[in-house]
Amino acid sequence: MIELVITLSFWGVPILLGYFFGRAAEAKHFRSIAQREEASVHLPTTSAKAPIGTGPIERSELVHGSVVVSIDYFKRALAALRTIIGGPVKSHESLLDRARREAVLRMKESCPGADEIINLRLETCPIANNVAGDVGSVEVLAYGTAVYFAHP
Amino acid sequence: MKYQGSLPQHNDNVSHEHPLKDFLLILGGLGAVGVLAFWLLGFAVDWAVDGLSPQAEARLNSVAAVNLPASPKQETKRGERVQDLLTGMQQCAGLNVIPRLRMHQSPVPNAAVVPGGTIIVFTGLLDRVQSENGLAFVLAHELAHIGNRDHLRALGRGIVLFGISAVLTGSDSGVSALLAPAAHLGTAKYSREREALADARALQILNCRYGHAGGATELFEALKKADADVSGLSHYLASHPSMQARIDALARTISTQGMPVRAVRPL
Repeated sequence: MIELVITLSFWGVPILLGYFFGRAAEAKHFRSIAQREEASVHLPTTSAKAPIGTGPIERSELVHGSVVVSIDYFKRALAALRTIIGGPVKSHESLLDRARREAVLRMKESCPGADEIINLRLETCPIANNVAGDVGSVEVLAYGTAVYFAHP
Repeated sequence: MKYQGSLPQHNDNVSHEHPLKDFLLILGGLGAVGVLAFWLLGFAVDWAVDGLSPQAEARLNSVAAVNLPASPKQETKRGERVQDLLTGMQQCAGLNVIPRLRMHQSPVPNAAVVPGGTIIVFTGLLDRVQSENGLAFVLAHELAHIGNRDHLRALGRGIVLFGISAVLTGSDSGVSALLAPAAHLGTAKYSREREALADARALQILNCRYGHAGGATELFEALKKADADVSGLSHYLASHPSMQARIDALARTISTQGMPVRAVRPL
């Protein structure tokens, strides 16, 4: 009886903690992202090679934003179950969505005076824990060229 | 080309389903498949064990035999006494070989059969039983396990359980720990059934050897007090029936089969 309880809590407690804390953190993060995206929507950001705006360019610079988001035990357990039967790993979708949008936001916030950002690129990289084959957290890097037009 | 700064109305990059739904669905499905496979393969093990010839059984026993430490020196005398009891019951138990015996120094009142068919008697058992008949019943119970080939069944089921969890979850994912409770429930129920069967057969052996069923419930009565907390949920997880249930079952069999109950021999 007691070993059953111990076995169950070894798996159950981290999953429960991951579920409640992970869900709360994700909801909070999504609220913050939505708010800040609203605030920074005025800064045009494209993946095009040339600026959309016209006129003489005063200067341009490389800007980047990066974020590392950790997986929680619940997401890991769900992904582990998914590895058996296959299919979309839905628990990781929201994790990566958050990381992508946060990275772009941080990049935009790093150049408040820019007129637009071109050549936006996104890169992602898993940061593994010490356990082999275990994805602990994920980094998303957003980078582009901030363009400042000459304002007479 | 005019650039229009705007935010998407709808986030298509994430699933809007509740994550728990996915989790419970997969876990439930895998659990059901695992339990079904375990159940079916358990029947296959029973079928294979029942169909074994005595020669194959002996071969399997020698393959599965584990190396056990020798009986402690100071227990040689008591060991011989127990071996004599075992030998005396061999014919009644319907075994064609005399099982090997190992004494184990421990205060726990217990006896067990290990893979290979060796009987281990804990010295605590000898300290707790009051009569020869009481000890003989416990030994008869272990002989019944050997006669019923329960150690081979347990071995087969262990392999099946290990195989299923390895196939379902891979070697180190830890999902097997999550599915273990369900498997444990099935194993515990099966184990209780086998124990009840062994008790019934042990009673026949005891009656055959001594001509009466006296002393059959002696050890269970002595252990009943320590067993008082077995109730409710833990009953479903226990590998053995509760002491009271075993005493009741034995008393029922004794009365329905009209076995005589006479005075026991002192140890």
